[in-house]
Amino acid sequence: MDIRMSTKVQVSRMVKYELKKVFLRTGNRVALLVLLLVTGITCFFAANISYVNENGESTSGPAAIASLKKAQKEWSGLLDEETLRQVIAENRRIRTSPEAMSDNVRESNIAYSWGQGIGEIRSLLNCSFCAFREYDYYRADSLTEAEASSFYANRISSLKDWLSEEAKDQFSEKEKEYLISQYESLETPFFCDYMAGWRQLFEYAPTVVMITMLVLGYLVAGIFSSEFSWKSDAVFFTSFYGRDRAVFAKVKTGFLLVTAVYFAAFLLYTGIVLTYLGTDGYNCAIQNSWGSWKSFYNITNWQEFLLIALSGYIGCLFISSLSMLVSAKTKSAVIAVMVPVVLIFIPSFIGNINSPLVNKILGLLPDQLLQMSSALNYFNLYTLGGKVLGAVPILLVLYSLLTGILLPVLYREYGRKEVG
Amino acid sequence: MELTVKNLTKEFKDLTAVRGISLTMTTGVYGLLGVNGAGKTTLMRMLCTLLRPTHGSITWDEQDIFSMDRDYRRLLGYLPQDFGYYPDFTVYDYLMYVASIKGLRPVTAKHRTKALLEQVGMAENARKKMKKLSGGMKRRVGIAQAMLGNPKILILDEPTAGLDPSERIRFRNLISTLSEERLVLLSTHIVSDIAYIANEILLMKNGSIEAQGTSQELLSHMPEQVWTLTVPRDQVNTYMHHYKISNIKTVPGGTELRILSGTRPSKDAILENATLEDLFLAYFGESPYGHTNVDESAGEQDG
Repeated sequence: MDIRMSTKVQVSRMVKYELKKVFLRTGNRVALLVLLLVTGITCFFAANISYVNENGESTSGPAAIASLKKAQKEWSGLLDEETLRQVIAENRRIRTSPEAMSDNVRESNIAYSWGQGIGEIRSLLNCSFCAFREYDYYRADSLTEAEASSFYANRISSLKDWLSEEAKDQFSEKEKEYLISQYESLETPFFCDYMAGWRQLFEYAPTVVMITMLVLGYLVAGIFSSEFSWKSDAVFFTSFYGRDRAVFAKVKTGFLLVTAVYFAAFLLYTGIVLTYLGTDGYNCAIQNSWGSWKSFYNITNWQEFLLIALSGYIGCLFISSLSMLVSAKTKSAVIAVMVPVVLIFIPSFIGNINSPLVNKILGLLPDQLLQMSSALNYFNLYTLGGKVLGAVPILLVLYSLLTGILLPVLYREYGRKEVG
Repeated sequence: MELTVKNLTKEFKDLTAVRGISLTMTTGVYGLLGVNGAGKTTLMRMLCTLLRPTHGSITWDEQDIFSMDRDYRRLLGYLPQDFGYYPDFTVYDYLMYVASIKGLRPVTAKHRTKALLEQVGMAENARKKMKKLSGGMKRRVGIAQAMLGNPKILILDEPTAGLDPSERIRFRNLISTLSEERLVLLSTHIVSDIAYIANEILLMKNGSIEAQGTSQELLSHMPEQVWTLTVPRDQVNTYMHHYKISNIKTVPGGTELRILSGTRPSKDAILENATLEDLFLAYFGESPYGHTNVDESAGEQDG
């Protein structure tokens, strides 16, 4: 009678025990608690937006969000020339009011409260009417209604000016053409709406994704090396499945851990922030927010959300796979834990070097996947086979492929390990 | 059922741990006896496919064990010298996990685990965490895991190291009961472990098998004879410098020495039957008293 069982059931049983090994370790439990705590704190900061009421008092909480939403909803709709004229006029009315001119803080706060409905559009006006690399908070105050017609054209012309002067050596002609065509193909006029939920979600998403990655690095680092540190390697490798399916179960455990922990943290964060702040504006272009005004990726908030979720996942998978490979190769969890730390923090130090080549390299490092909301605003372009591409699609494909290569290498490396 | 080793050598960077060993093993208990650093563990690790030999081959029924891959590991049960475990697992979980990587069906795994826990006397501690077990208990769990797949080849590396005398006796008896119809290779540097249970003894020194045979065969071919001699206490040091001394006993009127020597060390010396401990001393040149350098002629002068 064959006492051995089917592959799928067998691997599932091994995975169950591998997960048990991970979750029974006190350090790993603490790491998960830290992740939960940091995610909670990040949610608090992301959801903490204030509203100044008609008495000039700053308020926060659900009532404040409802008030802000109501104020901004009054201006929702197509951001066409007529709306822009009205916004410019309304802004001037507020700025020239006695309350706004007053030295009294409370009075000026009251004036500020009147402008919260047009706050986001006012910021876009500042972006549009400043030079490409500048931002003047008061620029909107000096605009006239007649200038509203150049609102969208300014975005393209300021890019062209920047490309022909300050950044003339930074890009090839083909890349410049690509950037301009991306700007020109952006659908205008924008549809404008309350979208504080998305704006806040995107701003704090890198924090959650990076902390999740660091915790994942800690969790997966021990999957392979712990057999050596516990000296259970000899029994493991002399077992029937010790050099194939048991190794596969370890790889699968790493994959499942990354998938489960990443999506649990990310969806928890997303769920809390969007439930609290709302999903309004999901179909608005990301350029509707002053932070993404210059982005050459013509996508909506909903698409950016999917992109952040996917790229964060690919980034976590890649870095975790690399961490597991280092763990298997060096038999050391300590060295493996350093992999995500190095990959996340070192690029920010190198980033101080102002060199186009360094920037091109940095733009393709895996940390970019963990901070997609920022990567979408960088002008990292690459010419591959005569075709110009932004860093984002390259990052997604490159690291998916590298992860696909790393996992079999990891399996092979560990399966052939000698125990001396 | 034949495990054959041919001209097996394992070299590390600046050390040859195993030198050109050739031997054949079938069913029964083989005792691998040698001092620490003799190469026993390296040899066993190669037999377990944990290390690849630098030269030579290991075959099971004429098939290379490394090519057999999992088909060979299916036959194998191994208890390493440093038996590692998952500290937070219970004994039962640990054995069930090992059963899963050994490819046992859940029902079979449960049955085998329960039976082996009974057999090694650990049934009452099945729910205890591994990290809470005593050294002896861990060794018993270790032998249970090695037996889970009902192996044809059972390799036990220093299984009694660190155990107290009663645990060692218990362990020896356990190994004896497990040795039916399988090949058991047991390494140790504790002579009494081998004396009781091994059918055949392999004496390993400096990476080579120095001698091989049953205890009777090895004792009959011992290169030196064993003598007892009672000497005044002030002469003990002199004898210790010139002979291998396997035992020193204080008796009325002096000290009785058990001496290994090719020639009679003194006219009063009495020829004795050799034991495995004497054999160990004869081959490995190490006595419990630390003397290793033998000068045969000195005995004649003292006598």
